[in-house]
Amino acid sequence: MITKPPAASGNPALSLHSISMSLGGNRVLDRINVDLAEGEVLGLLGPSGCGKTTLLRLISGLLLPDEGEIRIAGSTVAAPQTGIALPPERRGLGMVFQDYALWPHMSVAKNVAFPLEMQGVRAGTCKDRVVRALDRVGLGAMAERRPSDLSGGQQQRVAIARAIVAEPPLVLFDEPLSNLDRELRETMVDEIADLVAELRLSAVYVTHDHGEALTLANHVAVMREGGIEQLASPDELVNHPKTAAVADFLRLGCLLQATRGADGWTINGTDLSFPAETIAGSQAQVLLPEKALRLDASGPMTLRTQVVRSQARSTGHALILRLAGTDHVIRLLSPRRARTGDGVDLSFAPEDLRWFPVGEPVH
Amino acid sequence: MARGAVAPGAEGSAGLKWTATIGLLVIVAVPCLFIVIQAIFPDFGSGSLAAPFSMFFKTLADPDLFGLAGNTLLLGVGTVLCAAVLAVPIAALRALFRIPFALIWDALLLIPFMIPPYIAALGWIMTLQPRGYLEQITGFNMASLLFSVTGIMLIMGLNTFSVVYFVLSRTFETIGARYSDVGRVFGAGQWRSFWRITLPLAMPGLAASLLLVFAMSIEEYGTPAALGRRIGFEVLVTGIENRISEWPIDLPGSATLSLVLVSMALIAFMLQRWLLTRRDYRIVGGKPQAHDKRNLGVWTVPATLLFALVAFLATGLPILAILATALSRTISGGLALSNLGLDNFRQLLGTGSDGLAALGNSLMLGTTTALLASLLGAITAYSVVKGRGRFRIVLDALSITPNSLPGVVVAVGIILAWNQPWLPVTPYNTPFILLLAYICILLPQPVRYATASLHQLGDNLEAAGRVSGAGPLKAFVRIVLPLILPSMVTAMILVFAVASRELVASLLVAPVGFTTIAVFIWQQFDQGSAGLGMAMAFCAVLITTLIPLLLISLLRWFSRGSVAGLN
Ligand SMILES: Nc1ncnc2c1ncn2[C@@H]1O[C@H](COP(=O)(O)OP(=O)(O)OP(=O)(O)O)[C@@H](O)[C@H]1O
Ligand SMILES: [Mg+2]
Repeated sequence: MITKPPAASGNPALSLHSISMSLGGNRVLDRINVDLAEGEVLGLLGPSGCGKTTLLRLISGLLLPDEGEIRIAGSTVAAPQTGIALPPERRGLGMVFQDYALWPHMSVAKNVAFPLEMQGVRAGTCKDRVVRALDRVGLGAMAERRPSDLSGGQQQRVAIARAIVAEPPLVLFDEPLSNLDRELRETMVDEIADLVAELRLSAVYVTHDHGEALTLANHVAVMREGGIEQLASPDELVNHPKTAAVADFLRLGCLLQATRGADGWTINGTDLSFPAETIAGSQAQVLLPEKALRLDASGPMTLRTQVVRSQARSTGHALILRLAGTDHVIRLLSPRRARTGDGVDLSFAPEDLRWFPVGEPVH
Repeated sequence: MARGAVAPGAEGSAGLKWTATIGLLVIVAVPCLFIVIQAIFPDFGSGSLAAPFSMFFKTLADPDLFGLAGNTLLLGVGTVLCAAVLAVPIAALRALFRIPFALIWDALLLIPFMIPPYIAALGWIMTLQPRGYLEQITGFNMASLLFSVTGIMLIMGLNTFSVVYFVLSRTFETIGARYSDVGRVFGAGQWRSFWRITLPLAMPGLAASLLLVFAMSIEEYGTPAALGRRIGFEVLVTGIENRISEWPIDLPGSATLSLVLVSMALIAFMLQRWLLTRRDYRIVGGKPQAHDKRNLGVWTVPATLLFALVAFLATGLPILAILATALSRTISGGLALSNLGLDNFRQLLGTGSDGLAALGNSLMLGTTTALLASLLGAITAYSVVKGRGRFRIVLDALSITPNSLPGVVVAVGIILAWNQPWLPVTPYNTPFILLLAYICILLPQPVRYATASLHQLGDNLEAAGRVSGAGPLKAFVRIVLPLILPSMVTAMILVFAVASRELVASLLVAPVGFTTIAVFIWQQFDQGSAGLGMAMAFCAVLITTLIPLLLISLLRWFSRGSVAGLN
């Protein structure tokens, strides 16, 4: 166990103020604002190329922002306006890389000891702390091995030990699990979650897997094209996605088109209709959340669908259904098997739908 | 992640950047600058900037210059032709057919890389000259061929063709497997598909390796000096050497000739680089695949004999001639059992002998050059890879400049720069001046190795070090340097092998009374003690090849599994 409790300074572990960054003429990040309280985890979630790695490199000091201000544990580490630009080695961070980035010419113990050595920690203390950090990730027995002699999961655990050994005020994770296979990923997510909770780590966790982000993070920022689309708690995100893009990215359910007619809104291709005052505008997108759907015809509103495919899963049968009269596909888990071509009725409550205006300029 | 994005916040160490810049300025830029200044201002040596360009144009208009440049071109083109004639057929045979003992021929054809050309040339002289070994065995000599322009081309072709052979047989093999089989499926016969598909696709590789041969031959001093002087065939290199070492010394002339020679080498180098970076060449790179080679049938024996003949001419004959001369008590005694003895070796390696001193000097200089050139090379390559903007361009340009600087030109530049009377202190007339020359000549090798190795290194390895609290210098020393070390050792061994037997710069800038291996061999041969010279040549080949090979195998043994860093 790493002993020192995080200093209760009351400063946010990280605050980004209006960060912008251009690379090779492209605006890769656009006015990013984030505040992260001590002991909390921020998940950065978004599709490939949306700027997650860039944002993390800005926080670590491997890149400098064009504009804005970055504060870590209360002290400003980068602010181009005032000429502050602390190099990475003076930010005191821990970082876990997607490709592990373990140094192949050093043993596991040497890898983990490196940050302590750079801080000038005495050899005896250093050794103890390395042993404790390796024990934490369950690799106490492998201290003298070469990183190349470890499996991918073990290598990533070493990288995690290296990132936490010096008890940094902020740990950065850049898609740490994306090089691992699925089973291992699921165990490791739990391990990291335990570690983060026990050590009360403040962390930024980059991933494009929404499962990981929702499991690990206290706050999730969904990024899109260099901006933050929504920053909220996992619950809030799932229940109240701010835009259709967020709902789509999180795969919350089926997105349908709706048109306003003379007597209110109709979902295109169906006879489902809603009161005119639901939302302004003439076109809208509607999210039909997967978790709001029931496999019966009890109402209050019902949908007719047809089974496209049914796949056996360990937890039941994954049904792929097509909404009658449209091309929209609904995925749903059912305890029973269904035959292709069967009709299935789904029920939901109208208040569970999420409405998003269409034609609104992208911010 | 390894986008190679250069992060403003995590630049490489400024200290390293300045070390690389200052090192390159002193070692590369200063000699070049002085050549240019001297060519323009003939009286620069006496502190005067009078009459700029007067000698420059005079030398350029000198019919001598046309003669020298013409001869240099002639020699370069002739050598390229000889090398191509020697290399292309056997490379094609090797790549497309099953040749008996193929690996043995390959190993034998590597040996010319280990014998410095001037030593091979001396071996040929011992064999073909009047009353040479050929005449002793067969009764006739080939002196008229040996001491002719064609002879020089042939011998230089034999020294250089293995470069072409190895590049080409590999390229043929790759293309043969990948494309020409396809051609044959569509109905082209074996020969048709070679002429129509394999050869055209191999053209860029062939041209690039022939340009390398061209550059090597116009920069070569030993062979044209040993053979050409007897028939009055002078090239730019020997012309420059004459002007700077023989009375009356003509500094502006040698500077101008140097510029002409550098321009030729530069054009060859640029063309070669352009060919190698073109995209259509890259598609034929990569590993030769397992490929069904055809049987030669009745042609098996003639083809094997051809390989044996080429290998004998390129490797066996020069080495045997060297050994025979070294083991002869007297040259006049000829090839007779009674004339055999180790006298030359005894005299060479006797305590306190000049030979031993020369060996010691060369090994010392070779080792120091290897260490310093590799360190500077690694720092330079790192600064270029990490650098941005103008800095990067300047460093990059400086580090590849020596590619087109022949040894003789480096020597001229160093003499011009460091022998200025107004210098308060100078390394001139000390062994350090040789060190400066060798590092300048050999710097491109470690830079090339380090750059390749750095590109293989993931960006994140260094980034992880920086985030873990290591400053830029510490990250370089603790992380980058150990990871590129294996390939730097290879570069060091290469530098050592070449530096410890470098000839022309050593002849020109070695301090009075300081001999190196090459200078010793050259002097002994000039003074008629060929036996002693050849004994030294034999020791030199053995030491500069054996020590490196030993080092490489030791290194492999020590690092079993532990240098897994470069995968
Ligand atoms: N050095 C660079 N020069 C120009 N553009 C760059 C550079 N580095 C990144 N980009 C661009 O910036 C954008 C964001 O890149 P970034 O690596 O931050 O994406 P990401 O969200 O981490 O993606 P992934 O999930 O694939 O890792 C991309 O469009 C990328 O092409
Ligand atoms: Mg990324």
